[in-house]
Amino acid sequence: MRIPLVIPIVAVLAWTSVGIVAQTPAREQLARGEALWQQRLAKSAIVALEAAARDKSTAAAAHEALGRIYTFKGWQADNVFPGWHDEPALRDRALVELRAAVAADPSRASAQDALRTAETFAAADKVDPAPPRPEIRALDAQLQALQTAADASAASVAAAVEARAHAQADPAPFFTGAQILIDRGDYDRAIALAERGAAASDRFIDENLSAYQMSGKSEGARARGHASAADLVGWAQFMKKNYAAAADKLGEAERLTQGQDFVNQYHLGELARAQNAPARARDRYLDALSLAGGPAPLRQKAKEALAALQPGGSDAGGFDAWVEGELARRRDDRKAASLKSLVDKPLPALALTTIDGKPYDRAGLRGKVLLLNFFASW
Amino acid sequence: MPHLKASYAKYQNDPNVAFLLVSIDEDDKRLQRYLGEMKFPFPVARMNAEKAEKLMGFDNLPATFYVDTHGIVRYYLNGTESHGDSPARVTWYIDQVKQLTR
Repeated sequence: MRIPLVIPIVAVLAWTSVGIVAQTPAREQLARGEALWQQRLAKSAIVALEAAARDKSTAAAAHEALGRIYTFKGWQADNVFPGWHDEPALRDRALVELRAAVAADPSRASAQDALRTAETFAAADKVDPAPPRPEIRALDAQLQALQTAADASAASVAAAVEARAHAQADPAPFFTGAQILIDRGDYDRAIALAERGAAASDRFIDENLSAYQMSGKSEGARARGHASAADLVGWAQFMKKNYAAAADKLGEAERLTQGQDFVNQYHLGELARAQNAPARARDRYLDALSLAGGPAPLRQKAKEALAALQPGGSDAGGFDAWVEGELARRRDDRKAASLKSLVDKPLPALALTTIDGKPYDRAGLRGKVLLLNFFASW
Repeated sequence: MPHLKASYAKYQNDPNVAFLLVSIDEDDKRLQRYLGEMKFPFPVARMNAEKAEKLMGFDNLPATFYVDTHGIVRYYLNGTESHGDSPARVTWYIDQVKQLTR
């Protein structure tokens, strides 16, 4: 009786060891790098591919993969994800890598194709950003469909999230999945997913840091990821009637969004109302409504909640005028709040040039109120 | 940036107000194309990105400074305003700065 048990194990071992022999370290790095780039984890992909490029057997494929990454980053990255921009400094590297790929294997047709594309981009006036990938869109659609499917199991939601997260490593599927689970009353699983989303967001930004071009943009993206997670966790806790934990997390989301997110302010309003703090709830609903954005049904709910807190409700005389006045006051306060650093200090001397590189004469600006706007075309 | 063009219409004949855009682009071709599309009615200068960020202390774009007639910075916006930029806001800042130094 023992023999039949032993044989399959030996067979498995033999098969595995053959697999390891066939997969040289360079091939492993190549496969790893290509898979990481599929997930848009750029930094780790580049490290693996650079290792594979040093081995003769994988040099052509690795240089080609690197060239394709730099082609994307150099010409096609604009707003493919919020906050991403082209990195013109990488364009030459795209051409260098692709030429190295063709040199390593002159018969490699895919590398020649990629080189031709990059050379066309280099000669072109304008390159459109990379289109959304259909396979990712399909996985997003599968996940979205579960939002309205009342009979979908928690396991099918989890599977859809995993499939999408595995295909591309940005945090969106975790947040979508958490929202679906909250709607279904599955709060603990929702919290776990939202927390994974925050970690995925950090990694995704870190892997693509240079694509943001400015630290304010990457830090903003990081804060948005954590704010989304904190708001979802806080809302799940609210639904569980854990009001202290809800206050903690919704407050964290508020700090991260600097009180500028409609949904978060609405959630804080709901929390205050549940805690029998009508004055605070009223303030939150007004804060929410003074912000742009948020789904229309939720805005309607905020307005109704506000009316319910007023003696006499929305029919009471002057309710609409009172709301409008409160909203206008909040918008004005915000306008005045964004002051810091150079404010109240003299404008430094700036080494400005004209568009064609000659020194810029600032004489015409002296003694005038000046609007000085720094921008970039990206 | 279209909101700047719209607000400039109000001030183009005002001798006490000036608009200056400063590009921190590194890519010449892209900047030229952008300027060709936008056709700004006010001057545009250029500056090295790193120097501009360090000197002016911004880390997001667009970075907008409202400077009074004595050369003192009065308002500073790091990035787009949270509710979007609008001509009405530009007018508000300029009129505030005018009052501050009248």
